[in-house]
Amino acid sequence: MGISRRDFVRTTAAGAVIASTGLPSRVFAAGQKTIKVGMNIPMTGDYAPWGLPGLYGCQIVADDINAAGGVDIGGENYGIEMVSYDHGYDIEKALQGYKKMVSEDEVSMVMMLGGATVGAVMPWGERKDVFTTTLLSSDVTPETEHLLAPVESHPLYVVTGVDWLARNHPDAKTAVIVTNNDVEYGLQAAATFQAAFEVAGIEVVDMNLHGFDVTDFAPLVSSVLAKNPDIFCMATSFYTTALMEQLYHQGFKGKVISTTLDYHEEVIAKTSQEFVDGTIHQFPSFDDPRLNDAGIAFPNPNAFDAEYRKRHPNDWSAVSWEYPAIMLNWIEGAKAAGNTNSNDVLAALKANSNPSFVFGGGRWWGKELWGLDNIVVGNWPIVVIEGGKTRIKEFGSVTDWLDKHSAVLVKYMKEHGLRTVT
Amino acid sequence: MSDQGRFNLRHAALGAALLVIVVSVPHFLKFHHQDLLIFLTINVLVVCSYRLVTLTGEWSLIHAVMLGVGAYAATLSHNHLGLEIWFTLPLAGLTGALVAALLCFPLLRMTQFYFLIGSFAAGEAIRLIWVEWVSVFGGTSGLRGVEAPVVWGIDFLDPIPYYYFCLAVVTLCLLILYRIENSRIGLTLHAIHWKAALAESVGVDAWKYRALAFIIGSFFAAIAGGLKIHYLGSVTPNQFTIGFMVFILIWVIVGGYNKFYGPIIGVVVLTIFDESIREFEIVRPAIYGGMLILSILFLPLGLESIPSKFRSWFGAGSTPSEPPLTDR
Repeated sequence: MGISRRDFVRTTAAGAVIASTGLPSRVFAAGQKTIKVGMNIPMTGDYAPWGLPGLYGCQIVADDINAAGGVDIGGENYGIEMVSYDHGYDIEKALQGYKKMVSEDEVSMVMMLGGATVGAVMPWGERKDVFTTTLLSSDVTPETEHLLAPVESHPLYVVTGVDWLARNHPDAKTAVIVTNNDVEYGLQAAATFQAAFEVAGIEVVDMNLHGFDVTDFAPLVSSVLAKNPDIFCMATSFYTTALMEQLYHQGFKGKVISTTLDYHEEVIAKTSQEFVDGTIHQFPSFDDPRLNDAGIAFPNPNAFDAEYRKRHPNDWSAVSWEYPAIMLNWIEGAKAAGNTNSNDVLAALKANSNPSFVFGGGRWWGKELWGLDNIVVGNWPIVVIEGGKTRIKEFGSVTDWLDKHSAVLVKYMKEHGLRTVT
Repeated sequence: MSDQGRFNLRHAALGAALLVIVVSVPHFLKFHHQDLLIFLTINVLVVCSYRLVTLTGEWSLIHAVMLGVGAYAATLSHNHLGLEIWFTLPLAGLTGALVAALLCFPLLRMTQFYFLIGSFAAGEAIRLIWVEWVSVFGGTSGLRGVEAPVVWGIDFLDPIPYYYFCLAVVTLCLLILYRIENSRIGLTLHAIHWKAALAESVGVDAWKYRALAFIIGSFFAAIAGGLKIHYLGSVTPNQFTIGFMVFILIWVIVGGYNKFYGPIIGVVVLTIFDESIREFEIVRPAIYGGMLILSILFLPLGLESIPSKFRSWFGAGSTPSEPPLTDR
């Protein structure tokens, strides 16, 4: 039995309370210096599934590093201490938490989910040179020099999923897009999917960008299915479970593609494994054997997955591995810089024109779309659900697609009124 | 010394003590609590401006959105016209007043419960414009780029300088609000609240005064929105939802609204309380709900009535017994 977003919020309430107190890893060697890593994330509320699981993942990696004696930076040995703050996706709290971490807890860097909360902290962060990370590449602006999207470049990577779908299911020629109409997740993803579909020669025959007040998805799904699409695209939806349920009940037989399908076990429980099998998305389970391929820059992904599921059996989400990957990326930068100063770490990371990227093939990108090359794009997995499990089918190159087709993406972003610098 | 003299001396001493506290308090706080102090100072203006609207007996659910109107006006004028905070704040206030003036025509045709629901609907309509008109208002992610300035080397994005700036602006606004309430206009607003029909029978244009209260309240709410957004650096529609409006109502009701300082007590006490229960975020709505119910049951006149209750228990005065907002 899986777990829904609501169940997640309920069952992890205690975890959030404990985590919000900022309890550190407690396996430091006596007298060992520590580096404090900040996580200013939503641990409660609707966005919690994209916050708290990341803290759990970071704690596992930090414990691992500390158990191995710490990390050597500039000839000094440091333990890793996680400091967290739950802002509940409220921008006032996000700013308070950010300042608390930097000024009182003295963290060396701050990881955030992204969106409006990042917009609120960056003016101050820029004036104080705070090394900050986001999961949303669209947060980068020409002014945010200290903001990096080093792991997830939402939603650029979805182009690889569409490309794979078009090559492997050439008979699928029409698509509909249904997603929420928020700018940070829904519209950005919708524009990117539209661009990817156009490049792949797939016609978008209908699109429904709905508000967050929708509770009954039956009429909405009926309306788009009336166009007889071959593909149902959920983009980056907060309502994947509800949409999948409706698709199942209304007898949809085509392909389903989505940015992610968190808690897909719950979808299977509400529909059927046969129905969910074949769904395409982009967030792998870390027990996938393909993650042992050469070029994957995440240490022991399968062991990480096993430990995670042992400690938090029902809490795996898309971000479980992303924040740890960002933290590891920052440690790499600090090692190269020989210290933890944010400007030095930033310079050390940016000096590498082929930055380490979790799925390989990384390159700094972003200037032509958002004004700064502060986003790392590279290879990204295309995941298909098979036998009830997520399995990587291929690693697609986001970079290659952007080199050839970024003008198409800009066209659709402008169509939706989204910010670009071009 | 005469009673009047003692009274004046006591008030002067209280005022001086209050001044010392508000001026010195940020220096005793942690960095992130200084931020909280700024938002608290701004929220004092929010509740006092809301109280002015309620003086006529009408409770609206659009006040939070009026903050947003000011916030968006300040952001747009900063981003597109290059105006600094000294100019964006008055402009924010005027925009709030203008929007309120336009809304008077449909909204003030209603009273009591209908006005309450109508104001909620109007507020949601404005919020939807911010959400749907992405190219102008940035949709759900809102607008960024509005910042507090650096003047003569003083970075107003640092909490202490910005707190003093807020304190000055809010104090000025409160003085104006206080003067309005204690002027002939204020007395007329009270009269409309308690005996609207009688006031109209002697020539008072109740519609005009209700509109005036709504416009002035919205003017100051919009200034509060501008103040907040220059510190936060970004504005989103989600900051001005019915959820925030409920907080405004709770601050005012728990503090009490019969006296000018009642809502101020409410917002100060509940903000401190709120920070103390930060680690119990999930149960926070339940705690607030419980407090509101207890307050209505046992302190219907709010926290402001506690001193007079004490005095009555010790035989030094009468129990405050006037039910609030009841036509007499």
